[in-house]
Amino acid sequence: MTDSIRSMFDEMPEQGGRIYSTEALEQMTGEPEEKLFSFAEYHPEEAERTGYSDYSYWKSVWRIFLKKKFAVAMVILFLAVFVFSFVALAIGKYQYDSLVPDNRQMFISPNGEYWFGTDNIGRDYWCQVWYATQTSIKLAAIVALGECVVGVVLGCLWGYVRKLDRFFTEIYNILYSVPTIIYMTLIALMIGRSFWIMCITLILFHWIYMAKNVRNLVFMYRDREYNLASRCLGTRLGTILSRNILPYLISVIILRLALSIPSTIGYETTLSYLGLGLDVNTPSLGILLRNSRAYFLDYPYLLIFPAAIVSIVTVAFYLAGNAFSDAADPRNHV
Amino acid sequence: MLKYTIKRLLQSLLTVFVVVTIVFLLLRLMPTDYYFTEDELIKLTDEQKDDILQAAGLKDSAFVQLGRFYAAVFRGDLGTSRRIMNGKPVTEVIGDRFGISMRMGCMALIISLLVGIPMGILQARHKDGVFDHFGTAYTIFINAVPRLVSYSLVYILGVRLLRLPAMYSTRQPGVSSILPILCLAMGSIAGYALWMRRYMVDEMTKDYIKLARIKGLTPRGIMFRHVLRNAFVPMAQNLPTTFLLTIGGSLLVERFFSVPGMGPLLTNSINRYDTNVVQILVMLYASMGVMGMFLGDLLMSAFDPRIRLTGKGGESR
Repeated sequence: MTDSIRSMFDEMPEQGGRIYSTEALEQMTGEPEEKLFSFAEYHPEEAERTGYSDYSYWKSVWRIFLKKKFAVAMVILFLAVFVFSFVALAIGKYQYDSLVPDNRQMFISPNGEYWFGTDNIGRDYWCQVWYATQTSIKLAAIVALGECVVGVVLGCLWGYVRKLDRFFTEIYNILYSVPTIIYMTLIALMIGRSFWIMCITLILFHWIYMAKNVRNLVFMYRDREYNLASRCLGTRLGTILSRNILPYLISVIILRLALSIPSTIGYETTLSYLGLGLDVNTPSLGILLRNSRAYFLDYPYLLIFPAAIVSIVTVAFYLAGNAFSDAADPRNHV
Repeated sequence: MLKYTIKRLLQSLLTVFVVVTIVFLLLRLMPTDYYFTEDELIKLTDEQKDDILQAAGLKDSAFVQLGRFYAAVFRGDLGTSRRIMNGKPVTEVIGDRFGISMRMGCMALIISLLVGIPMGILQARHKDGVFDHFGTAYTIFINAVPRLVSYSLVYILGVRLLRLPAMYSTRQPGVSSILPILCLAMGSIAGYALWMRRYMVDEMTKDYIKLARIKGLTPRGIMFRHVLRNAFVPMAQNLPTTFLLTIGGSLLVERFFSVPGMGPLLTNSINRYDTNVVQILVMLYASMGVMGMFLGDLLMSAFDPRIRLTGKGGESR
């Protein structure tokens, strides 16, 4: 193509994108047809470029997530708290294992020796708070992952296998209609209280909400044409679920995963407050909040430190979860 | 419609039945010592205990006991409390506390409806405005931060700044229930505002609203005649459940402010193994939960004539 024509084409879109016939072009430029057009040579790389788009799912998720400054800041804040909980235990002047009650050291406000002060029986509060932070985060992470795995697997079955629908719906009714706390209380008193019992009971009662979300989505996608085709071609059930349907569920799964962390921490504090959570020897933030209940009107620092950390962790996950699930939704990638 | 209602009622009964049976059988796994009061446990000999258990039919197999329990419930006999209040009928034990919980729950509910729904409406109308941002921050705070922390904040502010009584007392029930009611309402305000705002925003982006605006309807007219009414339909489904559960009392709030309501009764009765009270309480909570869902569906169909619950097994859950 000669340059004069190329410049003409470049201007054309502004003129309403008129299409000229070969004769018109010949007249306008005064050149014969053979000179106007020439065959393009075949280049494999060039051909490749036209059919190629630079789209990658996770890259787009990441790009959109990073745009949400506030959520990113919260994630960084949470990571800082988490990392610092290890540092804090290392640099603290007292070790958690060697704490002894000391009546003379009761209720000392934060100072150079006791950075977070001391509690009602004279133990250093700094190392208790950071130790408890680790326990609470560990508990929440285990429960969230457990809920996620159980919920997704059973939710897929619930949605896909029609015969199981009644069965799972009945389970949902039973778990949903009675406040979880009643079941938790019964279990705490019959089986006992420990870190792992708490993990398992929380997973046992909360997987159903993840499963319900997954089920509704599987229900939507299971009979789409492409799945019908897949089934006709004899694809196995596991492959259909994991390759054809699961990718649609990612944003919902991540949202539930992130939101289950604040809710688990919330449940833990409530149960610990009612005396049904972890046993007193594994301090969690809930246990600390419970212990401070009787004293915090006079010694507010006993409440402020654990409450501030708990709030940072939960709010961070709440906001980051919402932002990430927005980012994970392919409809927002355009 | 009638057929559907009856079917759903039977289904609800079945759910309650299953829950109560599970809990009943779990409770039978506990040592029999717990059927006596603390005094009796020390004074009586083992033979005497055996005789008493035999006479009360507690030595029979769990399933025979289960049958007897349901027969008694069917006759309207809910049994007596053994350990919390020795010999007092369960209905009386629960009745006293239910009154207190219900009064507080109703107050909290009225406040949260009066504040929460207008708040959601205002947020949706002035989306992305200053008020909307404040409201969103509030709902995020309430939803994310553990209730124990937010109650503690209210407690400190209320007691320190406003000089309100820290504990519930029966002598001045009015003033001393301000803080518990506030705490109860705080959470549900956030819930109502969040959902109201979301449903309204969803509704406002729909095509028929665009058409209404093109036709020249006033924004106020569109808001109240169309958006609000349609946005209220999904809200209606959750209303009865929250209503019933608020009345049932919140364990945490009542424990936190030492309110002698339903919440502490539950943990108390489980802690002290008063099986008769536990059974009836579980039955009560389960029926309230199930009834809430049922009424929610009915209310939803009342608000939206397009929703037919009778179609194909009523897949509206």
